[in-house]
Amino acid sequence: MGKSKGASPKLPEVGQWPDKIAPAVAIAGIVLTTLGFLMAFFYVPPVAGAAVDGVELIGGMMVANKLLISQKIFYFHMPVAMVSFVALAFSCYYGVRFLMTREWRYDTCSAIAIEIALVFVVATMATGEMWTRFEWGVWWTWEPRLTTYLVLMLIVIAYFVLRSAVDEPERRGVFCSVIAIIATIDVPICFAITRLIPSSIHPVVLREGGMSGEMGMCVALVAAGMFCIGFALYRARFGQVRLAQRVEAMKESLED
Amino acid sequence: MADRKKEKLQESGRSAICARPSTFAQYKTLLMKDLKQEFRTKDMIVSMGIYAVLVIVVFGVALSFAKPGSEFLEVSGGLLWSLVVFTSLLGLNRSFSHEMENGCMEGMLLAPLDRGAVFLAKMTSNVVFLLIVEVVAVPLYWLFFSSYATPADTAWMMIIPLLVGTVGIAGIGTLLSTITTRTRGKDVLLALLFVPVIFPLLYACVSATTAVLIGGDVVADTLMVSLVLAVGYDVIMILASWILYEFVVSA
Repeated sequence: MGKSKGASPKLPEVGQWPDKIAPAVAIAGIVLTTLGFLMAFFYVPPVAGAAVDGVELIGGMMVANKLLISQKIFYFHMPVAMVSFVALAFSCYYGVRFLMTREWRYDTCSAIAIEIALVFVVATMATGEMWTRFEWGVWWTWEPRLTTYLVLMLIVIAYFVLRSAVDEPERRGVFCSVIAIIATIDVPICFAITRLIPSSIHPVVLREGGMSGEMGMCVALVAAGMFCIGFALYRARFGQVRLAQRVEAMKESLED
Repeated sequence: MADRKKEKLQESGRSAICARPSTFAQYKTLLMKDLKQEFRTKDMIVSMGIYAVLVIVVFGVALSFAKPGSEFLEVSGGLLWSLVVFTSLLGLNRSFSHEMENGCMEGMLLAPLDRGAVFLAKMTSNVVFLLIVEVVAVPLYWLFFSSYATPADTAWMMIIPLLVGTVGIAGIGTLLSTITTRTRGKDVLLALLFVPVIFPLLYACVSATTAVLIGGDVVADTLMVSLVLAVGYDVIMILASWILYEFVVSA
């Protein structure tokens, strides 16, 4: 498999430029998400859309349209979901690269990208659960986008089960790359389903143009922070896995 | 089984001296091999058919205390599709098990065959077996549950989502079962991968089937959208499987 090395001289490796900026990016991510958190609670006013339906007695007052604090979940739910999609897309990209070049590094990258995707998918599910509980009053509803996100999580988990179920590394790389590509193809179809098959109750924020400037700013801030955190996590995990691989390779060469 | 295959491969090899057999000829040979093998042993079809009846029995038990009336129509499309999914899972698991016996797979890979033809042949044979089982199982399903509710006049249109769904299931299922037959814990892994990947198609097909069963205004509203979505899924996933199959089968 060494023949393709000349064709792709720049393989991802520990200590390249992304690793040099990774600590700074991690700090930037922490700062940005903290800022976004503060902004969501102290700067962005509550907006209509997350409200009580009908007349209810809240805090000694009869209100017909109370703005709920739980809408703040949205500022974290959406950015986290975006990062999980992007991580999945990267996994697909590295999967394609692996199938093209059969270079192990890309298989490692693909697996790590999908690990990061899993972290953010789980975070999305957790925030989404809180949202459904407080906005819609139930823990779970079989609403299409929720369901498809659950499905996405199941595919990502199945990916790891598959990874541990194949012994030969060559085969494992190919199978896992293929599943990463298939999972990424599934994502747009998930979106299409929520838009096209009727009876969906998920707020379609972007299409209705329902985000005010402040809301958009806050979401963008948190999204930028989450992307930074995702990137830093990816590099940290990549460094760990690569160094472990190099130690293994060194051990083997010493034994020979 | 392997000898017969070898003969066939030799045959095509002999004609290759003058001209390489066309991809269609390769496809036909592979498909006939699968069909002939199945119709001689009737291994897969019989077990799938019996399994389908057993799933209907389980549904019967599950519904026996509910005794639903006309609202059964709203559930029946979904139940029918869970029957199809479980039965096809069983079939897909077995569709590659006899390829692995006697080194059939190695023989097939050694021959200068187009890998796309291998995929299409396997997919077509899976479609054929699934359709045969559905032709038996779907009327049986309605026979057993006919006392609950009578479907609308448009119920015959159920054939369209069934066809579209079967093609999609066979397409992506062929790719996934090729992957999982060569892993530890084959059957479980196929279910783990197959059910989430098939989900969008299942959703669209259940929506289309329920629409034609209920009839009325719903048909026009939902049926077209669902069918277009299901066909789109089929096209995308079969194309992707076709392209990726080459890597999977030679790994």
